[in-house]
Amino acid sequence: MSSHDKWTRRVVLQRAMQLGAMGVATPLAINLAAIGEAAAFDSTDYKALVCLFMYGGNDYANTVIPYDNANYNLYSAIRGGGAGQAAGGIAYGRAQLDATALTPVVAQTLTDNLQYALAPQLTGLKSLWDAGRLAVQLNVGPLVQPTTLLQYQSTNRIANPLPPKLFSHNDQQSVWQSNGTEGSTVGWGGRLGDIAMSSNSTNSLLTCISASGNAVFVAGRDALQYQTSPSGAIKINALNTPLRDTLNTLISRTSTHVLENEYAIVTRRSMAMEGVVNGALANVNPATSFGTGNPLANQLKIVARLIGARAALGMRRQVFFVSLGGFDNHNLLMQDHPNLMTRVNAALSAFYAATVELGVADKVTTFTASDFGRTLSSNADGSDHGWGSHHFVMGGAVNGGRFYGTAPHVSIQTDDQVGQGRLLPSTSVDQFAATLARWFGCNAGELPGILPNVGNFPNTNLGFV
Amino acid sequence: MTELDNAADEEGSPPDVSVAGVAALSALALAACGGGGGGSSTPPPTQNPPPPVTPPITITDAEAARFLLQAQFSVTDADLTAVKNNGYSAWLTSSYNLAPGQTGVAWLDSRGHNSITQEQRYFWPQFGDFMIWNQLLAGPDQMRKRLALALSEFFVVSLSPIDGFYPPYVIGAYWDVLTANAYGNFRQLLERITLNAGMGFYLNTKGNLKEDANGRQPDENYAREIMQLFSIGLYELNPDGTHRLDANNQPIETYGQSDITNLARVFTGYDWDYLANGGTFTTVAWHSYRVPSTHFATNQMWFNAANHSNLAVTFLGTTIPANTPGPEALRIALDRLFNHPNTGPFFARQMIQRLVTSNPTPAYVGRVAAAFANNGSGVRGDLKAVWTAILTDAEARTLPGAGDTLSGKLREPVVRWVQWARTVGTTSTNGDYQIYDLSGSDTSLGQSPLRSPSVFNFFRPGYVPPNTAIATAGKQAPEFQLLNETTTAGYINFLQWSTRGGYNDVKPAYTALLAIAHDIPAVLAWLNLRLTANQLSVTTLALLQTTLTAFNVTATSSDNAKLDMLASACFLILCSPEYLVQK
Repeated sequence: MSSHDKWTRRVVLQRAMQLGAMGVATPLAINLAAIGEAAAFDSTDYKALVCLFMYGGNDYANTVIPYDNANYNLYSAIRGGGAGQAAGGIAYGRAQLDATALTPVVAQTLTDNLQYALAPQLTGLKSLWDAGRLAVQLNVGPLVQPTTLLQYQSTNRIANPLPPKLFSHNDQQSVWQSNGTEGSTVGWGGRLGDIAMSSNSTNSLLTCISASGNAVFVAGRDALQYQTSPSGAIKINALNTPLRDTLNTLISRTSTHVLENEYAIVTRRSMAMEGVVNGALANVNPATSFGTGNPLANQLKIVARLIGARAALGMRRQVFFVSLGGFDNHNLLMQDHPNLMTRVNAALSAFYAATVELGVADKVTTFTASDFGRTLSSNADGSDHGWGSHHFVMGGAVNGGRFYGTAPHVSIQTDDQVGQGRLLPSTSVDQFAATLARWFGCNAGELPGILPNVGNFPNTNLGFV
Repeated sequence: MTELDNAADEEGSPPDVSVAGVAALSALALAACGGGGGGSSTPPPTQNPPPPVTPPITITDAEAARFLLQAQFSVTDADLTAVKNNGYSAWLTSSYNLAPGQTGVAWLDSRGHNSITQEQRYFWPQFGDFMIWNQLLAGPDQMRKRLALALSEFFVVSLSPIDGFYPPYVIGAYWDVLTANAYGNFRQLLERITLNAGMGFYLNTKGNLKEDANGRQPDENYAREIMQLFSIGLYELNPDGTHRLDANNQPIETYGQSDITNLARVFTGYDWDYLANGGTFTTVAWHSYRVPSTHFATNQMWFNAANHSNLAVTFLGTTIPANTPGPEALRIALDRLFNHPNTGPFFARQMIQRLVTSNPTPAYVGRVAAAFANNGSGVRGDLKAVWTAILTDAEARTLPGAGDTLSGKLREPVVRWVQWARTVGTTSTNGDYQIYDLSGSDTSLGQSPLRSPSVFNFFRPGYVPPNTAIATAGKQAPEFQLLNETTTAGYINFLQWSTRGGYNDVKPAYTALLAIAHDIPAVLAWLNLRLTANQLSVTTLALLQTTLTAFNVTATSSDNAKLDMLASACFLILCSPEYLVQK
């Protein structure tokens, strides 16, 4: 690593807030190296944050669905529902929602007296809601600062800054994960890892782990994203052959050529960790079934096992990333989205059960995220790219069975949407993330170093965990 | 041989390798060889003195191999000789003129994958994988295939979500559009792709309907992606591919949501054409519905005016009047995108990244974009001009110096394996080409052709690997997006057995190497040239020499013993970062 300027924390935080005030959605890779000096978590306990990213833009309107008669009828009309509250177009029939209708554990009054039901496939999540272990965050999305419709429509982007490249898949995936567009190199999960690494002195490399391929969310300034497969670390077989020494030399030697050298670094890391990880996993086989054929469940299973191996690995704080693709339902929404919801339901339900079995239910908090929500209106058999969306937070420490945030009107004309029912977020990703970061162990002073725009929002602890 | 090549490299590249310089020297060389005039011994007094005789450029084996590994998958003896004898431009011309090989659809037909039987194989997708592996591994027109592969990572369609009847034909017909137009014009390619059945399925132009009174809107998927990915990109570009900046030094977005919503109207009214060109339906006993022939996949989508939006379209400052007939609206829209000043540099930069280097200089991008804008004969979008500009440019032809530690690009896993297969020679024992989807990262190649996980390709053009010196240097390395602790190990494991045993019916022959297997230095020289263009270091070669000598292969050893050694040689080289990074 090259030498860094030694900035004091105070200077660094001030600078970050200045950038945030400029109205630029500030990426996190700015020279905040000194944050590494920040006080480590005084963690004798264990906590894990798990991000479930739904790639493609999950259709919020068929995930958390208006259920009271008045609002259901509005939903149905916009989405092409049939007469008599029957299914049609891209709208569920109301009767299909009876089993997953949500009653808050404490009475809540939402916009327009809205009541919601979960998608019919989310029966496990409904149970978790009833047990107070699942919360619903309404209408959350990337914002630089609180934004009204007029501000969105304004052309003055200095006074009314917006996140960059709204409605673009790859950029919004990156903005959700890292506050910057495609090409960003540091995610806010990775920033949490930076602060937490010193709590994991034995195997700090395993602070941030992805079970689903490279994802900027779990890349930190110092914390690396370690990749695991659903079966654990992959062993290089050829290292058992007569070619072992030669192969070892060739694949792991240093090089003056940077690309060659970086390739070898990943290979060295793979080899170094394989024995450590697989050795620790060998003794962790929770009885909870994750089923078969569900790639998301397979990922969450290895995450559960890694959490089960935390003591053997010497871990105190970890950030995990799992994902499922296929949510870009421009068409065949009613064929494809139910299958996706089924997979999400099965995987999350099994994961929660596994954390209970492992005795860590209140030490693991899982949240969902996605590129964006979608339009409320239909393009005949699907919906198009949107912005704000509804997301879940699950875990033993969650204040569940409740809605957080502001419910949007069920409309394509009100001022909380930017056309076709694309939601204008009323809660920012920064606020959502800050709440999770606080639970993870960050104090208020550390938040701007993780989420540069967080100072633009009045409430940085939404209270769901 | 190796020492001579190294000596030539140390003397430096041919002196004047600017594009103009190369062209001028080539011209002079041809003039000298072609013997212009000069019959009489007494020149007329007013004639200009003859131009200085300049020796033709000498292209070393390593330079020729390096060029071929940018232009196509592998180095063949014939191509090596042709490049050295005739130069780069002439070789490219001959390559452009090479007859196209068998199409993907024709191969599928030849294997009977259009048959209608109760086994219902017409639903099976894996023949699409077999088809593309056959396309990449077999056939002499490998430059066309290499460039089509690059195009498939720009105009992305993936087999993975394709279901219904004949997924192999849907992906095959899409692939055939790329190979058929690889040497054509970008404007035509853009249109063929827009009307292609596979693309129609993938990005929802198929069956896209106009707006209705109940608030239904046209599907916006293709309108968004054709702008973001297939033509102009997100930000306004200078001719050299750098971002134009506004008065506040900020990038300028090329389009907004309104442009997308408007443009989406143009792509309404299209659907699969089951009947044109002799398409049929077959009644079968095992379905209540009829089974179509494969024509819907190979036919361009047909246009139904009843489903087409008649609203005016205003996008990118162009207005298509209300009630413009669909085909005319399409022409205007595609012309607008094609003629946008972004399209040349946006396309050029990514094709340079696919073939030569992850971090071209803006000047290099500018030269290629200029060729896109005008091929020298006033034609815009001439793809041959683009490929020639990319591959003959000084920045491509000049071997990076040892001090340029960020040069080149990481080879894609698919390109590595195809290179190995073509280099050692592979054949199918039964013609099936049963190579499946190799995307699996823990036990397989970690990438498979035409199996991109999304329309954003296997990796993004702007990908910067976090926590690396590449990131610190501010450079991009798209292919690193596939690299992690799982894939690096999975790749090594996959190579270990496939270099020896091939994959299912596709077996490596190692013919040329078997003949010299007893001569380890010759084996290493042969592989070093053809796999890496002599980019293995002296240290690596010495280590390989020791390791391979220990196999004790002699001229009379069994073929199996020789193959064990040869496969190990390939395995070790293909795992080495000196090979993996193409410089």
